[in-house]
Parts: sequence; C-alpha cells; structure tokens
Amino acid sequence: MLTEFGKIFVFLLVAIIFVAVSIFIAKLIRPVRPTKEKLKTYECGENPVGTPWIKFNIRFYVVALIFLIFDVEVVLLFPWALSYKEYGFYGFLVGIIFLVILAVGMAYEWRKGDLEWARPKPNIPYLKKIIKNQTGEINQLQSEESKIE
Amino acid sequence: MDLTNLYYSLRLILPEVIVSVALLIIVIADLILHRDKKSIPYIALTGMLAALAFMITDLAQQGFAFIPSKSQHMFGMVAVDAFGTFFKILIIISSVFIVFFSNSSLEIQKVSDRIGEYYTLIYGMILGMMFMISASDLILIYLSIELLSLSSYVLAGFTKLRDRNSEASLKYIIYGAVSSGIMLFGISILYGISGTTNLMALNKFFQSPELNLLTLSFSLILIFAGIGYKISAAPFHFWTPDVYEGAPIAITAYLSVASKAAGFALLIRFIRTSFVAVVDAQGNWILFDFFDWRSLLIIISILTMTLGNFSALWQNNLKRMLAYSSIAHAGYILLGLAVLSVHGLIAIMVYFLIYLLMNLGAFFIVMLIADKSGSENIDDYSGLGYTSPLLGVALSIFLISLTGIPPTAGFIAKLYLFIALVDANMIAVAVIALLNTVVSLYYYVRVLKHMYLTKPSASTSSVRAVGINYAVVLILTIPVILFGLYFTPILEFVKNCISILSI
Amino acid sequence: MNIYDIIFYLFAAITLVSGFFVVSTKNIVHAGFYLLFTLFGVAGLYVLLGADFIAIVQLLVYVGGILILLLFGVMLTNKITSVDLRSGTSYIIPAVIGVGILWGALTAVLFKTSWRSKAPSGMDPTTSEIGRLLITDYVLVFELLGILLLVALIGAASIARRDKE
Repeated sequence: MLTEFGKIFVFLLVAIIFVAVSIFIAKLIRPVRPTKEKLKTYECGENPVGTPWIKFNIRFYVVALIFLIFDVEVVLLFPWALSYKEYGFYGFLVGIIFLVILAVGMAYEWRKGDLEWARPKPNIPYLKKIIKNQTGEINQLQSEESKIE
Repeated sequence: MDLTNLYYSLRLILPEVIVSVALLIIVIADLILHRDKKSIPYIALTGMLAALAFMITDLAQQGFAFIPSKSQHMFGMVAVDAFGTFFKILIIISSVFIVFFSNSSLEIQKVSDRIGEYYTLIYGMILGMMFMISASDLILIYLSIELLSLSSYVLAGFTKLRDRNSEASLKYIIYGAVSSGIMLFGISILYGISGTTNLMALNKFFQSPELNLLTLSFSLILIFAGIGYKISAAPFHFWTPDVYEGAPIAITAYLSVASKAAGFALLIRFIRTSFVAVVDAQGNWILFDFFDWRSLLIIISILTMTLGNFSALWQNNLKRMLAYSSIAHAGYILLGLAVLSVHGLIAIMVYFLIYLLMNLGAFFIVMLIADKSGSENIDDYSGLGYTSPLLGVALSIFLISLTGIPPTAGFIAKLYLFIALVDANMIAVAVIALLNTVVSLYYYVRVLKHMYLTKPSASTSSVRAVGINYAVVLILTIPVILFGLYFTPILEFVKNCISILSI
Repeated sequence: MNIYDIIFYLFAAITLVSGFFVVSTKNIVHAGFYLLFTLFGVAGLYVLLGADFIAIVQLLVYVGGILILLLFGVMLTNKITSVDLRSGTSYIIPAVIGVGILWGALTAVLFKTSWRSKAPSGMDPTTSEIGRLLITDYVLVFELLGILLLVALIGAASIARRDKE
C-alpha cells in the first residue's frame, strides 16, 4: 500500500518520465532544419538583447528576505494550528502570543516602507509656495526635487 | 503544561519576560515616534533597570521552569539559580553602561534615525544571553546562542559608515555560521546516542557503564568548538580581532564583556550539570572519567592566553590591542574553570565582576578619544596624559588593573585565580599564567609610556568630555580602585551566588 | 534490496552528485542551481526517515526560500558571473589532511556507535505531534523563535535597506 509520500513520489516519477519520453520521441520524429532565427533564445518573439545576467534591484532582495522570514513563521504555525484545540484556551494563547510578535514585525516592515515598491511623489503643492515666497523657497524646491529623483 | 504551570514558569523567568516585553515596546515605540527618537534610549534603560530590580530582589530564587509534562524527573528547560542570576546581573549592568556609551558615541549618533533598531538588537542580545546563562536544555542553548549571534552580527556592522564595519559583520557571520553548524552537529550526535537534550538527563545517561567514548568525545569537542567561538578561546578566536576592530566601539565593549560572560556561564553550567558525578566535601567537582575536561581546558586556556598576549604586543591600534587582551583574559578565566571546583568558580565570578568594570572603562575612554581624534592609533596617545589629564589617569588605572597590579581590583581578580590554581596543585599552570601576566605588562605599559613620557604631538587632541561622560568614567574608576583595597563585599556577594542547580 | 533501499540510494546519489557539482563548478550561478538538487535530495531522505514535516519544511524554506535568496544575492552582485573563482586549489594539502581526518572520525563514529534508534512505525504524520510538543514542553522555544524571527527581520531589513539621504 502506498503512503501519501509514495503517491507523490510516483507522481514525480511519472512527470519526469512523461517529459523525458515525449522529448525523446519528438526528437526522433521531428524534421531538423535549423536556421539562425530558430536557434535564437526564445524571448516572447522579441530579439534577445544583452546578457541575461543583469543586476537586480536591491528591493527584490529585501522583499525576498521578508518573505523568507515570514515563510519560516508560517511553517511554525502549521503544527500549532493542527493541535491547539486539544489544549483549550492555553493552546490558543500560545499561538496568539506568537502571532502578536509576528504582527509587530509586520507593522515594522509596513511603517518603515519596506513593503512599498515605489514611494509616492508629492510634488504639486510646492508650486503654490514658489508664487507666495521668494528665492529661499525655490532653493528648497530644487533640493526636494533632487531627493525625489 | 497548562495555564497554572505556565504562570509558575513565567514567574521564575520574570526578568526574561520583562526583557522580551521591553523589546516589543521598543519596536512599537520606534514605529510610533517616527520623527523624534530621543526617548528610545530611556525606554531601553527603564527596561534594563526593571529587570535588574527584579533580579536583585529575587536573588535567592531557584527552581526549574518549563518542566516537560511527561518527565519522570522534574528537570525543566530553564534552571533558575543564584549562579545564573549573578551572571544575568552582570549582563544587565554592562547593558546599562552600553546605553550610556552609545548615547555619547559619535558613531552611534550618526545613525540616530535607526536608533530604534539598534536598541531592539541590543535587547535581542540581552535576551539571548540571559537564556544562554540559564538554559539547561541543548535545544534552548542552541536557540539562545543563535539569538545572541544574529543580533550581534547585525550590530557589528550596524553603522555602515566605513568598509571595515561591513567587513567585521561579514567575517562575524561567516565564522559564526560555521561554528554554530559545528555545534549543532555535535548536539545532534549527542542526542543520537543519549536520546535526550536535557543536561540533567544527560548526567543520568553518563552514569551508565556502556558509553561509546569515541562518539561521545567527538560530539563534545564539536559542542565545545561552538562555545569556544563565543568566548573566543584559542583555536576559534580568529574572528575576534577583526570584528572587535571593525565594530562600533560601544558594541566591541559589549561583545568583549557581556557576550563572553554569557558564553562562560553556559560552559560552566554545561560542565557542572552534565559531567560532575559528585561534589566532595572540599567543593571539588569529581567528573565522570570518560572525558578529560581538565586537560582540554588547560591546553585551550594556555594556548588562548599565550596567543592573546603575544599578538597584543605588536598592535598599534588600541582597539585591536584590547581585543587581543580580551582573548588573553578569556584564557585566564578558562584556567579558573579548569580547577573544576567551587573555589575556581568563585575566582571566575570575582574575575568577571572586575573584568566588566575595567574592560568597559578602557573601551569607554578609547571611544571618547577616538571620537575626538578620529583614530585609535597609539601615536595619537602621545602626551595625552598632559592634554587630557582626567581621562589619562582613568585610562592608566584601567590598564594597570587589566595587567593585575595592586592596588587595583585587577590584582584581586588575578590573586583569587592564582590561589585557586595553587590550592588545586596546578603550580606549573599557575607559573605559565604568571609569565603571561608579565608579558601583558609590556603592552599595557606601552600605552602609559606614550601617554606620559612622550611629548604631545600635533595629532594629540585634548579631549574634553561632557559631564555625563565624566560621571560614567568615575562610576567605573572608583570601584576599580575601591575593590582593590576593600574587596570583602564582592567576595561575600559572589559566595552567595555559587549555587548551580544540578542533580 | 527492497524498493525503499532503491529509493534511498536514488536520493542519496542525487544529493551527493549535485553536492559535488556545487563545490566543483566555477560558475557561482550554476552552483546555486545544483544546490537545488542537493536540497531536494535531502528532502527525499527526510521522507524516507519518516520525518514528513521536516521534508516539507526543507522544500518550502530551503528550496523555496533560501535558495531563491541565494540566487538573488548572486544576481545583486554586479558582474559576478565573469569573476574567475579559482581560490579552491591554493591550500590543497592542508585541506586534504583536514578533510581526511574529519572523514575518518565521521566514519569511525558512524560504524562504532550503538545509535539509539527506533524501529520505524510506518509513515505516520508527525506534524500534529510536533504541534503538541511546541505547545506543551517546548512552548518557551516556540515563543523565543517568534522573538528570534522578529529580531532577524528587523536586523536583516535594517542592514539590507538602502539608507535614505
């Protein structure tokens, strides 16, 4: 009798064999007439430009980092969620304390703006100020603008 | 475990609970006080003082917290006893000093918009160290070491001002990850043969006659490597100079005192609860004879102090010199543990109490001078004794005390250590330690020579600190002299705090 | 040799071979991708040991999280793919001696120890039992893990975040 993981293993095996066999058969029966266009890297019909090894934005990394930590936290919540009912209020309390600590971390990320992709750009209100005030404010505006960039 | 048990356990670890709550409060306060963060150091200070007050009032409290429900013995995850409370008090006291250090430190002031994170991480370190001190379960030991390490990795590179900050952090992480992996491997092997992670239950397991010595020794050496990394004992000390030099000085001081104290407390508890078969009438610990802890500790400690002292001889950077000197001091303290008796334990605890004052003091003055002159190079100390007399005198006192010359407290610390060694008939080791002390005299006095026997050069700055800094210096200096002359109170205090919960 | 042995050797081979490629390849991106198979093989071994929860965690956290982070780290570093990584062969003799000693010790430990092993009780799910332990005996560890993760989150974010001017 197969266990649940046995089924997964068989599924995995079938998936690999299916792909391997179909590629192999396709290779046997397909015509081979390569051209320069056909051998190009497929990039949604576009011409591939430049190297694929590009430098990522640092924001991807921060988001991935946050994802990883919350990933671990969710993993720890699974066992708790399966058995907290047996312990009544006590079991519930244990998980709630853990979740509150989690929520503090979430609030931290939110407030510090790590979850925002692009920061909002407030630039309209400054125009009125220039009209009202004189040169000193204009200098300030320029420095604000360079900051937004 | 139910609500009443939980309440009982939480009552026992109340200081840790206070620290955890304070950590959360700091994070939340940092989020609420988005603009003005001046009050965060005071919140941090309040939390520390509250925890300190509870520990001092409950000094005699002892018992096991978090006892497994199905356990036939009443051994818990956390052992609360006077020994642990003593070390926790040391940790909190040094943390209080670190708050003052950070407040006056120029490096930390430059990142004042991230001061909330800074104190959160400091609190993470405190919490990790407190659980390291009282953990009596290998899982909790590993977890608390991780909590301490993670926070200190980030703090070592916290300011991001210079490249060497990041270098310190990176080196710390790489060495730390390797050593924590090694330690975890050792723990897993130990669990594989004993079937338990509790230190007391391990003691019961070691009493059985059929032990596999090879496997056991292998796992113990691996675990020792992990702890040895935390106390920067000799073969595992490579990270220390670079990290201490690169980290902000306040953090360096903290690492060299608190983190080391926690590592030692953990090592002492590990050996005392798991490997001591009986304690005889003289207070000597009779260990199980399958693993020779004494020889291992002696070899490691001699290696540590010799390497530390001889490397310190050539250092021109004062911060780096103090790093090597702290390695050497770890060697002396390890010798106290190698005595394996109550007397050795008393010597270690006296040593740590005094080491805290003098080492923090030395780092604080180095920090004040570095903030002014911008470097920690020994050439900038030329004639400093004349340009800034008070700091010069204070630094001299700390350095003399670190050497161990009377009438400073450092002498008392070394004295008790040597008495314990001689009492245990470890004369040869005591002589080696004494020779090491003589070597250390050279590099400490070299600083004094620069301060007093060299003419002030153009790069010598006259450091005029503000009032609060002078107060901190005095608070650290006075006990160093006072305890050198009148040391009965610390001895009495330490003797009250030597009980370690065990079978 | 029954079916479980065959599956075990299959996963062990995947782990070892890809692990060898991780340390021997000169391209750090390729090393990252080979690590995928190593971690996957280890997950398979966990399944065979009856540790289903750990196996899933291995897939979820290591393959799904840490590896991605690792590759991000590589991608973040400019031009790292063109850097020649050849530092592996400079200390070959000490490395061989050290690894040899470690290998000998590990082999001796492996064969000479009477491990406290438990007969497999089938493939019972372990997750709810782990949950029970986390709620009762190891409740302190559970809550401390929460704080550890909070500190890790704050520390990592404050290090990785680009400072505002």
